[in-house]
Amino acid sequence: MMKKRDLKSLYSWAGSIVASSTPKKTEKRAKREQSATSEVESLAQDSHQGSYEKEADGFTVPSDTAVALRMIHGQFPKIDKVSVPPFVLISQVYSIVKDRTLVDRELEVMKQDKDVRVFKLSTGQDDFAIMFFDDYVSQVNAIKSRLDGKHPSEDLVIFDWYINHILPIHMDAGITDFHLESILSGVGHQIQERHISLLIKAGLLVRQLAHERSYWLAIPNIGSLLKSLSQGRKELLSLLNRRQYKEVLLSILEKKKLRMSQLDMRFHVRDLLGSGQLFLSHTPAGILVRIPRD
Amino acid sequence: MWQMVGRRETGRLPPHKFRALLQKTRLYSIELAGHKEIASAHKSGVNSLQIDATEARYLLSGAADGSVAVYDIEQATAYDHSTRTSKHEALFMVDKRVLNGHLYSVSCVHWYPIDTGIFVTGSFDNFVNVWDTNTTQVELQFNMSKKVYSLSMSTLATTHMLIATGTDDTRIRLCDIASGAFTHTLSGHRDSVWVVQWSTRSEWVLVSGGCDGAIRFWDIRRAGCYQILDQQCSQIGRRPPVLKKSSRTHGREDNLCTKYLNASSPIRQRGQKRSFGISAVDSRTAHYGSVAGLQMTADGLHMISAGTDSRLRLWDVESGCNTLVNYPSTYIRGNKGIQMAVTPDSSLVFTPSLNAILVYDVWSGHSYSSLRGHYDQVNCCAFHPQGQELYTGSNDRKILVWAPRRPIDIDNFDYEDAEQAIKADEDAWSD
Repeated sequence: MMKKRDLKSLYSWAGSIVASSTPKKTEKRAKREQSATSEVESLAQDSHQGSYEKEADGFTVPSDTAVALRMIHGQFPKIDKVSVPPFVLISQVYSIVKDRTLVDRELEVMKQDKDVRVFKLSTGQDDFAIMFFDDYVSQVNAIKSRLDGKHPSEDLVIFDWYINHILPIHMDAGITDFHLESILSGVGHQIQERHISLLIKAGLLVRQLAHERSYWLAIPNIGSLLKSLSQGRKELLSLLNRRQYKEVLLSILEKKKLRMSQLDMRFHVRDLLGSGQLFLSHTPAGILVRIPRD
Repeated sequence: MWQMVGRRETGRLPPHKFRALLQKTRLYSIELAGHKEIASAHKSGVNSLQIDATEARYLLSGAADGSVAVYDIEQATAYDHSTRTSKHEALFMVDKRVLNGHLYSVSCVHWYPIDTGIFVTGSFDNFVNVWDTNTTQVELQFNMSKKVYSLSMSTLATTHMLIATGTDDTRIRLCDIASGAFTHTLSGHRDSVWVVQWSTRSEWVLVSGGCDGAIRFWDIRRAGCYQILDQQCSQIGRRPPVLKKSSRTHGREDNLCTKYLNASSPIRQRGQKRSFGISAVDSRTAHYGSVAGLQMTADGLHMISAGTDSRLRLWDVESGCNTLVNYPSTYIRGNKGIQMAVTPDSSLVFTPSLNAILVYDVWSGHSYSSLRGHYDQVNCCAFHPQGQELYTGSNDRKILVWAPRRPIDIDNFDYEDAEQAIKADEDAWSD
């Protein structure tokens, strides 16, 4: 039988981990923490009376992937020139949660629950960006308001259709003309060429080079970030390659600033760790970052 | 090990578990075999290997200069006492000097599934040759008019002896040894076909993977493919057994029929059905690059596919879904297929990746080890089921043998040899 003091300290410890790792608090998490504290109080009363009741719904322990996503999301660097909501690369999640199959599966569940949205980036063959659904929807709305004066309103209605019909149904990273047509005709709307060209202009759809009439769903305004992503990776790898033993202490690396990337060092280190181009090893002098020799 | 034997003796460990544990410990300790060596007869990179299915005694290898050789992997041809290795040399080798032999690179070799009297080879000189093993002559030749990348014969077949060939052409053609003609042409791929494999569950089902990244399932009794694997269609882990949810299987059967007729609607785990027209079907891909390798598990319920996007995927064959198992750090590139190997109990998969062979656990994707020994790119792996040995061929012209670690043989310890070895170590001037 757990004592009242033990349960309370356990829940507060769990809450503090989630709170300390992310400086920003979003609405959902604040609600969850409130419910957690209320649970603690109710449970404390019950255990004081000598009965242990199972925790009521309202507080579910988040999965490993969800916690990792929140943590990295909170640590996204501040970029002044472009307004892109924070996104997380899947290689960063791989660098934190060791079991990749678990990450893939939990991410699939989160996609089905419409918590997150996965996009394929053009910087490499395996690059996927994960963004929270609400962030993406707010970004689409921001673009719609930005294009408001310049286009007639019957064209702008495509953004509403995009949010309300296409995003909830179509979970994949890519979409074809045919799918767009069939989904929208299913709800009674007729899509036309100018709608698609408006979506491409807004940056929400990008043409696929391999196949005609098919597109990748994309994050708008992400061009400069993609450039800094690939250049930052190259710079970090060349920084390590130039050294004699191709390794450097993490503490020294963190203090350096990348010249060609707007994203910070921690972002790139996590990304390269997850994609297997860097390895960490623990030494008496601290954590060492090295390039594997094979 | 001895504790395990003790538990078996007292009855705390049932016999089948004892056997499985023993096999598992041996399998996980695979390394370069010190006791066995294959003297490769080839003067160029080894492209394809196959161990015969009937008695698992003969190894067939095809190389990039058009030569094909057969080795006896049980009976050694020579024994080297100093290093205590048994050397296996080629029983014979055929190349372009034989009448109708292959002129260019041999890309795939296959034993006849019934016995080792016939073997089939396919090559970049557009021909598929059927050879008689005893006379080492070409008995039958099929002109495919395009480079042959892969061929396969069904080990389960009792009513047909068809050779499925994947070529540079987008059509898969089935050649019949009995009649000497082409019986089927399966079209549907949009680019060249790099891998073909017969199903290990049904003698009528053929799986093919193409350069366009699509994996298609064909039933040769009907026209058209009945399933295309889509990497977006996924399920979490293995499906629940059929008995539990009868309503869902009923729905699935319905969908199977519509699948066959329209070749559409991938099924999701949650019962959501999407309907696409026929034109959209063609663009579903299993990999972002080309499909480089296919390997069915022994029970035919799952399939592992390797793509040039450096990914391995595990598919549930019945539902056609990606089981989302992540096999990390593979590196697969190139302009032809690779050959993977799976252990008969489907616990480990061996994948060639650059100069090493990576060993993964099939169900969790955990990487156990990477076998390093080749000097150049590894092309093919073949697993010997009884001996638990892995044979790999690579572009460095060698065929290496990997076997579980052997304990030192104390009974046959040769004292004379050991004495000589010790004497050789002594310095001439030491006291």
